[in-house]
Amino acid sequence: MVRIVKARRWIVLLATLVAAGALVGAVVAGQRGPQQQQHDIAAAIERSAMIKVADIAGSDGLAARGVYVQELDTGHLCVWDASFAASRSRGGGCNAIDDPFNGRAVSASLSYDGGPGIASVRDARLSGLAAGNVARVAVLMSDGSERMVKLKKASLDSGDFVAFGYRLKKADLKRGIGPTAIVAFDAGEVEIGRQPTGIGG
Amino acid sequence: MRRLTLAAVIVTCLVLGATAAAGTTTYAGNSYWPAGQPGATWFSPSWFQNVFYKTSSFDTTLTFIDAQTYRWHSTVRGWGTYQETHWLSSENKKAHCHANTTGSSWAACTAYN
Repeated sequence: MVRIVKARRWIVLLATLVAAGALVGAVVAGQRGPQQQQHDIAAAIERSAMIKVADIAGSDGLAARGVYVQELDTGHLCVWDASFAASRSRGGGCNAIDDPFNGRAVSASLSYDGGPGIASVRDARLSGLAAGNVARVAVLMSDGSERMVKLKKASLDSGDFVAFGYRLKKADLKRGIGPTAIVAFDAGEVEIGRQPTGIGG
Repeated sequence: MRRLTLAAVIVTCLVLGATAAAGTTTYAGNSYWPAGQPGATWFSPSWFQNVFYKTSSFDTTLTFIDAQTYRWHSTVRGWGTYQETHWLSSENKKAHCHANTTGSSWAACTAYN
């Protein structure tokens, strides 16, 4: 009789453990997908080569920087703003190689120090890539004016692009004028892509 | 029964210990991000890397906020599905992220120390 009771306890305990394990497993599996992808991208960034594709000119006493890309074996294309290739002080982002501009013809990151109020921003820079057929990229400013961006051809394993880096002028920032969008035009001056942006948003 | 309980406690401690030692804190994770939704860590001098991972693209900002002036540092704004920034400073700071447009799929902000 005692043996039967003990056996029942073991069965109940095992069943409880299995049920708890299944529940925890289901919860973890639900989150593990994205978390594992994030981990995989982070690991690929650490082991992949950085290729410099454009310059960010030094101005107003600020040092020149570069725009770097990485083609990851996870199927991502990353664009970084950094002072040199191996610098840990990089900032930027990645997209899937088969959709590097998120459905647009241009994709850029805005990096800045200071703020969130625009007048206290010490340095602000744009770094990005556009489709190979983009002939001109302009930065649309909050006062309605445009700033022209120098484009540089970038032939990567994943395709032909144009790359750009742009440092916003201190005079603009001091007057409270910041970027509101990056706009791409084709050779016929037709707008083919637009990405909204802004400081302190 | 006691042995089993002890084993369960040890396993739990090992799992929690391993997670803490990894040096990452996912401080915001949602399957829906309304425009303006923020997330932030607590203040610490040891944060140095901040990542926003999204399963689909939307406009987001990633930054560090110092505890003294509340100014932003190494801010990155963009639509990339993986965003990353670093601030290699010993200042007391918190990692901060927010959505500028609505995101309707899973996205999470992770800080490294």
